[in-house]
Amino acid sequence: MKEKNNHKHAKRYGMVIDLDKCTGCGSCMVGCYSENNVPFKTDETNKLDSINWIQVYKITNGKPFPNTEVCYLPMPCMQCDGVGKHGHSPCVSVCPAVATDYDYETGIVSQIYTRCFGCRYCMAACPYHARKFNWWDPVWPADMEKYLSPNVSPRMRGVVEKCSFCFHRYQLARDKAYYEKREELKENEYQTACAEACPTGAITFGDLNNKSHAVYKLKNSPNAFRLLERLKTNPKVYYLSNKRWVRRAGDNYLAHEEPAKIKQKVNQHH
Amino acid sequence: MKETPLIPAGVKRCSTWQFSLWMTAATAVLAWGVYAMILIWWKGLNQTNMNDAYGFALWIWADLAIIAIGGGAFFSGFLTYIIGKKELKNIINFAVIIGFICYSCALLILAIDIGQPLRGWFIFWHANVHSMLTEVAFCLSCYFAVLTIEFIPLILENPKLNKKPFLHHLSHNMHGIMAIFAATGVFLSFFHQGSLGGVAGVLYGRPFAFREHIFIWPWTFFLFTWSAAACGPCFTILVTWITEKITRKKLVKQSVIQLFAKISGWMIITYIIAKTIDTVYWAFVTAPGMGFTLMDFYASPTYNIGILFAEIVLCGFIPGLILITKRGRENSFLLMTAVILAVIGVCLNRWVMVLQVMAVPVFSFNDWYTYWPSWQEVATTVLPVAYGIIVISLAHRYLPVFPQEKELNPID
Amino acid sequence: MKIDRRSFLTYGTALVLGGAAGSMLTPAPWKLTDDVAIWTQNWPWTPVPEDGEITYKQSVCTLCPGGCGINVRLVNGRPIKIEGSKDHPANKGSLCPMGISGLQYLYGPSRVTSPLKREGKRGEGKWKKVSWEEALTAVAKKLAELRENGRPQSVACITGSDRGTIPNLIGRFLTAYGSPNYIRSANAQDAIEQAIYLAQGKQGTPGFDIEKADFILSFGSGLLDGWGSPGRMFNLYGNQKPAKKIIQIEPRLSDTAAKATQWIGINPGTEGALALGIAHVIIKESLYDRNFVENYAFGFDDWTDDNGKAHDGFAKMAKKFAPEKVSRITGIPKAEIVSLARAFARASKPIALNGRGHGSVPGSIDESLAVQSLNALVGNINKPGGISAMPDSNYAKWPEVNIDEIASKGMQQPRIDGAGSEQFPNTRFLLNRLPEIINSAQGESPIQALMVTDANPLYTLPDTAATKKAFDRIPFIVSFSPYMDETASHADYILPNHSYLERLQDVPTSTGISLQVTGLAKPVVKPLYDTKHVGDSFIHMAKALGGFIENAFPWDDYEAFLKETLNDQWRKFKRKGVIEIEHNLPEPLAYTFNTVSGKFEFYPTARNSATQKENSALPSYTPVPIEGDVQRFKLVLIPYDSIRLASGYMANAPFMTKTVDDTVLKNQIGLLEINPATAKELSLKEGDTAILTTPKGKATVKIHLYEGIMPGIIAMPRGLGHTAYSEYLADKGTNFNELIGPIEDPTSGLDMAWGIRAKLTRA
Repeated sequence: MKEKNNHKHAKRYGMVIDLDKCTGCGSCMVGCYSENNVPFKTDETNKLDSINWIQVYKITNGKPFPNTEVCYLPMPCMQCDGVGKHGHSPCVSVCPAVATDYDYETGIVSQIYTRCFGCRYCMAACPYHARKFNWWDPVWPADMEKYLSPNVSPRMRGVVEKCSFCFHRYQLARDKAYYEKREELKENEYQTACAEACPTGAITFGDLNNKSHAVYKLKNSPNAFRLLERLKTNPKVYYLSNKRWVRRAGDNYLAHEEPAKIKQKVNQHH
Repeated sequence: MKETPLIPAGVKRCSTWQFSLWMTAATAVLAWGVYAMILIWWKGLNQTNMNDAYGFALWIWADLAIIAIGGGAFFSGFLTYIIGKKELKNIINFAVIIGFICYSCALLILAIDIGQPLRGWFIFWHANVHSMLTEVAFCLSCYFAVLTIEFIPLILENPKLNKKPFLHHLSHNMHGIMAIFAATGVFLSFFHQGSLGGVAGVLYGRPFAFREHIFIWPWTFFLFTWSAAACGPCFTILVTWITEKITRKKLVKQSVIQLFAKISGWMIITYIIAKTIDTVYWAFVTAPGMGFTLMDFYASPTYNIGILFAEIVLCGFIPGLILITKRGRENSFLLMTAVILAVIGVCLNRWVMVLQVMAVPVFSFNDWYTYWPSWQEVATTVLPVAYGIIVISLAHRYLPVFPQEKELNPID
Repeated sequence: MKIDRRSFLTYGTALVLGGAAGSMLTPAPWKLTDDVAIWTQNWPWTPVPEDGEITYKQSVCTLCPGGCGINVRLVNGRPIKIEGSKDHPANKGSLCPMGISGLQYLYGPSRVTSPLKREGKRGEGKWKKVSWEEALTAVAKKLAELRENGRPQSVACITGSDRGTIPNLIGRFLTAYGSPNYIRSANAQDAIEQAIYLAQGKQGTPGFDIEKADFILSFGSGLLDGWGSPGRMFNLYGNQKPAKKIIQIEPRLSDTAAKATQWIGINPGTEGALALGIAHVIIKESLYDRNFVENYAFGFDDWTDDNGKAHDGFAKMAKKFAPEKVSRITGIPKAEIVSLARAFARASKPIALNGRGHGSVPGSIDESLAVQSLNALVGNINKPGGISAMPDSNYAKWPEVNIDEIASKGMQQPRIDGAGSEQFPNTRFLLNRLPEIINSAQGESPIQALMVTDANPLYTLPDTAATKKAFDRIPFIVSFSPYMDETASHADYILPNHSYLERLQDVPTSTGISLQVTGLAKPVVKPLYDTKHVGDSFIHMAKALGGFIENAFPWDDYEAFLKETLNDQWRKFKRKGVIEIEHNLPEPLAYTFNTVSGKFEFYPTARNSATQKENSALPSYTPVPIEGDVQRFKLVLIPYDSIRLASGYMANAPFMTKTVDDTVLKNQIGLLEINPATAKELSLKEGDTAILTTPKGKATVKIHLYEGIMPGIIAMPRGLGHTAYSEYLADKGTNFNELIGPIEDPTSGLDMAWGIRAKLTRA
């Protein structure tokens, strides 16, 4: 509780992804790759050893032609607040070497590549598969090393990495604000690369605690839901969909259960 | 001066060439494992078939399993030195050796399993006290040190070493204070066996593994410690039996085995009852609370409900019931069947708590994850077996492991 | 003390053990442990990007014809990231994954880093680096030789675009040289452009004012799959007020269909019939724009020509397409057709679009005419939210080319591809006909030298085998590609152009957009390799050829040429990067048409009716005769386009391929989409390997069950199956063009093949 008091004005950066707007184009993924020096291999078709900080899933309603519907679901790291919202996200609490940590100032779950020794316990803990392991040394062929950004260190083989909500962008924005003697960041000063790259504006990013930020209002929409809320991971990534089957696909429900009611129960409890 | 023989007096050992042949075979398998190990260290974990969904796989299972079946060491120490079951002194040496093998291999596998082995010590230096793995690493290392200390006096009893007055006295004095180490070992084991249970149990993002309320602490911790204490002795009995078959002589009196088996039987029965309670609560309360039915977890061809039956009934209640009944224990076929089933049971439990946890899809739109280990993973998992055979063979040949051997196999 | 063997061993062991234990008390092992860990944190083979000052440069993306504005982030002058430019009127900050991947083209392994001369056999990959002087001289010498032999027309040039100064410069070169064979790659706009020309008499790129439309009826256009200017379409969909209704009609649930208000599955190739069926209902129920039809249109009712011959009007043609019949053809329920027609006609600003997927294949003129007739029925021509022909920006003015006698003779020769001939009078380029013409020529190839820039016909043309055969018959092939694409790898000389981020270029925007915007692509980085601007290469060759050709190019280089072209606008252009000319739509209802009748022609009199059914030029529906015997090939294979797969001249960057789902590509094998019911009939399961056979070719595929495709239809993506480029792209999946051949549209000669019959056998 001490932590809470120390950070009365703490931010809770989060995202609201409007699935009705997401066309599955993959710009968020590519924008993320190039922002965060994500490596690539000659064969990336095994999605279980392909490093993606945000991965777009394609889900269907399972109905036969012509009633089939498809929805794309971009999944970055959910930046879980954890049970009771104390920052004990599933991954942070299990890392034996404090290589991943919860930042109480922003609510962002960090990953320190030089600290990580690759035990992968955090990957086992994360139900969202947001964490990716560097099975190989990264290789940038030809002159591609030249496009690497100095703001994000390339990772060595044998460590885990994941989405950081472009924390370096937060740092740059904060430095600029300090320089200009400002305490608060403007909403548009700190945006993730995927939110900026999304050509349909499906991704909205901001401080979930700040009433003037767009995410604040969006997350309270009746169509808003989070993935696997029932696990009490308390993700800071919200989704919007006007399709019932999509909202239902976001979590696990017993046949008789009604998502809206369950959601209410889960949120009341926490 | 007459050369002191390396082989203890009063026992018969096979010929040197026979022994060499046996050791060569074991070393060949060991070399295969070592080759795979070097390959993995050199090229990285891309040599495995693990992936981002299976971050924990064969090795973590092997770790958990060998620590469980190596539990005979701490439990026999507990029974011998703390409870005072002095008969078990006749098997405790062997239990310690098996424990030593298991724990040294567990540490080795951990060193192979991590992506940055050269930074592995960060687990101690930058320790996160909240992490089960930190607890495991500390206790495992400490307990391994204890096992080493427990093993040393036995090594010093080699006739050649024992001839040195210093080593002789060292051995003698260490024996004298062994109860303290045994107690330390028991204490440490209670911790790390329990923590290993926690490794999966605390994963609240994994509905298959997660347990709520008292079912996470102390229940899950307790289940792991208890099952190791229950099935570890079975493994000790099993390896003793195998050693007897290979050396073609009786090494431990049947009364000792019977006692050990009886205690194990009661442990298994109590464990499996506790496990059943845990399973029922999990199946009917915890899982539905997260939107899962029990059968959701057993909906794959590989991971079907048969697994749960095998773990609880076939490899739980059945061996337990055999071992607690006198007739069951005294029938050598039933005894060995029960012992083997119990060992399989605990290994299966560890498998389920590692690999099935990874296999179960958490998202409603995902499919089951499949995994098949690469030869490098298999080779490095077989490595401990070869290593164990070599250590046991050497220990048996050169050290007075079984106090009753001379009595049971008099040399004319 | 006597040291014997035993004590040596004893003391030795003690010494070693003691030494080991003792050293643990020294800092050495601990320091070493730490140092080793620090070393792993700084492995020399893990790059450390250089830090520095961050700057931004605005430019225009030319990876596709979309022409989106880009904002390039640089560190110490080193481009490190591309983002969409919010200032560009077309995309307003939105960018597709290809645009964002741009730096991978710049720095990537597929770059041709110097002029190359072929050493081994064609396509063998053996090259010799040559100097620019040597390469340009060799090409100029070959061109001079052909001219001296009086065959300048045997030189052809294939380009990706015919708009902007670079294509114009190349066209000017060919004119001065004496060849009419300037051939631009085809796309769906060609058929629509021709349909608009036939109906309106106006030549220009089709402009669709989707921004203002409130009801979009899309006959398979992949509006969100890379159609037109992708940045613009995405921005429109997500960030601006989208149309109230988007109806997507196609056999497969594409990403566009997934986002549409409604997806209607249709038997492939029957879109034209549906359009006529909708027209039928609109006319029957008098839902059409009476004012437009009565005052500004021709050929709606029956009419008689000057020779007294009676012709049916459009209304009579539409009458033949009653919903029952159309339902049988298209597979769409009758009621659906009727309600669709009513909804379309009653919307306040409806627009109908066609051209499948990205729009890489033109399709039939009948279909485009039928769809344009729908737009006319709702009076949606040349008005906000409607359709208009966009004339080219007229900034490009150069001194007239004076040509010599050889050139004059050459220019009088018919075009090799038959475009503009009596048979295809309204078509400008017919690249799809080229392979067949070369392959069927007696004696030597009518094309003796081929130059290719911004095009990759060896990959993009249908029937890859025939195309390759034709190319093998051309004795001299020059590629100007900056990348080792399929065509470049089969060339004799590669004269690599600068990559798009290194070169200056004006970029007229864009297909489908109803704004006249021209962007300026400015170099964001100095050329990394020994490359040359393609404009400079042509100017250089013109000077080497001398005479009239040299005189036609009084400029030192391309920049001087562009500067003179833009004249007083140059400085503004260079500063702003974009010239925006708001297209002045005529006042509502002040329709101007350049047709013979001076009206919008429902009956397109400029269309050659001789090739049509019943000698009528009216849009009708005749099934495209797709190849393959129905008995032997029981399935129908169609291609699909995805925004994550570039299928045109530019191929995928590694980042894009990385985003491709494992239901599209698995390892090196492409996945074929099939309805589960159809798969069951063929006893195929998810992930099975199968052999896909069409009359044109064979491929190994994996099966992917997809409910979102009509039973009996199978689909595979365009953009895979490259044989060139690097290991990040080559040999992955199948090139759809290897499995299909072109089918000529009788009116335009353009390719109208939408699919091909196929069969699947278990591998």
